[in-house]
Amino acid sequence: MAEFFRDLAGPSRRTWLHALIFVFGACAASATLPQDYPSRPIRIIVPFPGGGTADLLARQIAQTMSEALRQQVLIENRTGAGGNIGADLAAKSKPDGYTLLMGTVSTHAINPNLYAKMPYDPVKDFAPVTMVARMPNLLVVHPSVPAKNVAELIALAKARPGALAFASAGNGTTQHLAGELFKKMAGVDMIHVPYKGNAPAVTDLVGGQVQVMFDNIPVSLQQVRAGKLRALAVTGPVRSPVLQDLPTVAEAGLPGYSITSWFGLYAPSGTSPQIIARLKKVHSGDIIIAHLNKPASDTGRGMAQGLQALVDQGFSFVRLDASDVRPPQKRI
Amino acid sequence: MELLANLQLGFEIALTLQNILYCLVGVFLGTLIGVLPGIGPVATIAMLLPATFTLPPVSALIMLAGIYYGAQYGGSTTAILVNLPGEASSVVTCLDGYAMARQGRAGPALAIAALGSFFAGTVSTLILAMFAPPLAEIAFKFGPAEYFSLMVLGLIAAIVLAHGSLINAIAMILLGLLLGLVGADTNTGQFRFTFGLPQLTDGIGFVVVAMGLFGFSEIIANLERRAKREVVMAKITSLFPTRDDLKASWKAVLRGTGIGALLGILPGGGATLGSFAAYALEKKVAKDPTRFGKGAIEGVAGPESANNAGAQTSFIPLLTLGIPTNAVMALMIGAMTIHGITPGPQVMTERPELFWGMIASMWIGNLLLVVLNLPLIGIWVKLLSVPYRILYPAILLFSCIGVYSLNNSAVDVALALAFGFLGYLFIKFDCEPAPLLLGFVLGPMMEENLRRALLLSRGDPTVFVTRPLSLALLVAAAALLVIVVVPAVRRKRAEAFQE
Repeated sequence: MAEFFRDLAGPSRRTWLHALIFVFGACAASATLPQDYPSRPIRIIVPFPGGGTADLLARQIAQTMSEALRQQVLIENRTGAGGNIGADLAAKSKPDGYTLLMGTVSTHAINPNLYAKMPYDPVKDFAPVTMVARMPNLLVVHPSVPAKNVAELIALAKARPGALAFASAGNGTTQHLAGELFKKMAGVDMIHVPYKGNAPAVTDLVGGQVQVMFDNIPVSLQQVRAGKLRALAVTGPVRSPVLQDLPTVAEAGLPGYSITSWFGLYAPSGTSPQIIARLKKVHSGDIIIAHLNKPASDTGRGMAQGLQALVDQGFSFVRLDASDVRPPQKRI
Repeated sequence: MELLANLQLGFEIALTLQNILYCLVGVFLGTLIGVLPGIGPVATIAMLLPATFTLPPVSALIMLAGIYYGAQYGGSTTAILVNLPGEASSVVTCLDGYAMARQGRAGPALAIAALGSFFAGTVSTLILAMFAPPLAEIAFKFGPAEYFSLMVLGLIAAIVLAHGSLINAIAMILLGLLLGLVGADTNTGQFRFTFGLPQLTDGIGFVVVAMGLFGFSEIIANLERRAKREVVMAKITSLFPTRDDLKASWKAVLRGTGIGALLGILPGGGATLGSFAAYALEKKVAKDPTRFGKGAIEGVAGPESANNAGAQTSFIPLLTLGIPTNAVMALMIGAMTIHGITPGPQVMTERPELFWGMIASMWIGNLLLVVLNLPLIGIWVKLLSVPYRILYPAILLFSCIGVYSLNNSAVDVALALAFGFLGYLFIKFDCEPAPLLLGFVLGPMMEENLRRALLLSRGDPTVFVTRPLSLALLVAAAALLVIVVVPAVRRKRAEAFQE
């Protein structure tokens, strides 16, 4: 038995030493030579489940990044606690440029105002790399609701307080906050009905169980086109390119109203400015937009198709010069 | 005859060499991940999404769909062989499937699962082709009140699942309901029983509980039985079902297919109910219900058929409405999106080649699965003759990897181990874990829909009896309760009289 343990301990001690040398070596390299970046695969933590909006966006840009940096870019889904678990993991990772976070309006603006205890600080713990995409929500109603525009909806809600119900994908989602902001600014009363995610909420909206929703564009746009829902307005500050005819809520009766979902790429704070600059360059909306217009390769063509689909569903990719990631707004 | 023309279009697309190949890759991968405990189709499809960038959209979707229903097949394999349910739907397969395996009848159990699934797949693919649009409308008839009543019916059916004491079964269901409460409350966002652990805010994962209660506890219990530690207690008799087996199971396959296909259409957990409901039904219509839980082949045939039928029909809301019924369907939406297809009611008319191609490929995929799986049965069964000192650590290792891969969370692995010890206690106390799991799955949905229905009715509880569909479900639940409770009460009284 003792012999067995000695045998086990012998090589393993040596292996540990090698590992240590390797780790220190790697640290030294990454600390002193950011110009070699990236010398190994980069991981992007997505704090939401696979197949969701944040995940799809991250997988799309991982491909773009991978081509530009000539290095593998891996996606790691770390879900839970409304995105806090994944964001916290990224915040506490080594700031060497090899761990990035696909942050969203939830992880960096809503959650800090919603959760009593936050495991990370959305401003101090992160170095913003770039804004990736934005998307307004869409104010939709069931066709049986008599209101044909925002003013009529406000009038209807005022005439019968509490008679209308609005669905959301859960407490503290943009759908919920858009509804609450609407209630507050219009001075009306509607019942909030939270669901677990978008799909069941839209199902009940199309089925007429609830009457109103401030939904993400991709899901409800198709129902609007099929005549199963009626769109009244978009919630963003400007009209959506995919729904040019539709006014914003602000235009249609509530000046100053604005709710936008956004997605941004973050590095842990302390990441070297050179690395951030390098990432900014390959990661900006410009490259994505260029990809959309003129895909460089076979993968590029496949990707352009996917990116175009996201654009068709109401996403707008953000150009680098137009805006950087701004600090979270505490207004909500 | 439009249907024939459409099906012809579908088969023309699905039968190209390329698409058959992708279908095969899909179902093969699906079978593989289904067999590995805990590693589910969600993670696999998410990982493979970018790899499909360069494929034509139809091929990509055919492959991804193949992974999904292939995993349903594979999942039943581990449930039968080593009592490890990878998904909610294979929990009931464990009950009689594993009992059959211990009697040396793993072969017939696997074969009947494959054949039943193939039949169910064929029928539900036809249903999908003929009635998809009108069936999709059913989803809209189900509001929160109807879901609540459906869950009540499901929970009462859960009592039927147990073959031991009625009191134990009810206690286990209640314990399941309690465990289901852990996490953020959907209605208020309040955290319940999370003990400040962020990992618990989304509740305890189903796989975590199922792995622990079924797989791990079984391993612990087996280690205790010093004399006969092998998984297989009896000699393996035959690999394929006998004539008697087939005679006993064909009706169960038919009934299972019907129930599964119907419940699969409902978003929000309908598909999960399918296999449970099929099992409960088989046990109720059986001449001798005491055989259930001890290796009744109907107890494998019914639920497995229901499971596969539901897997096919759960594509109906996705393909006709663009509404996903479960996490895998949500991923399929993502897949469609990156291939430039906007999922929604228009897919059927605007992209008929996609819609019919996928439907045709599902039938082909089911055929491939049978062809793939029947010869594999021999290999799977041989696996059971691996000595326990190698087999058990391997199962534990793969299960831990699977549980970890769900959320990349070590907390989940620790929780699964804790449930393993709890499950061992349950074995000692003669409490069955299946009703607990059903309570665990249905409880949160029931609460969510109860509160939502009351919210929408502005607090008026009569909503459950004034809506016809909801009323019908509640009446069915009451009838089932009478059927379950009356014989038990009568027996008690008979015992009392004897004394």
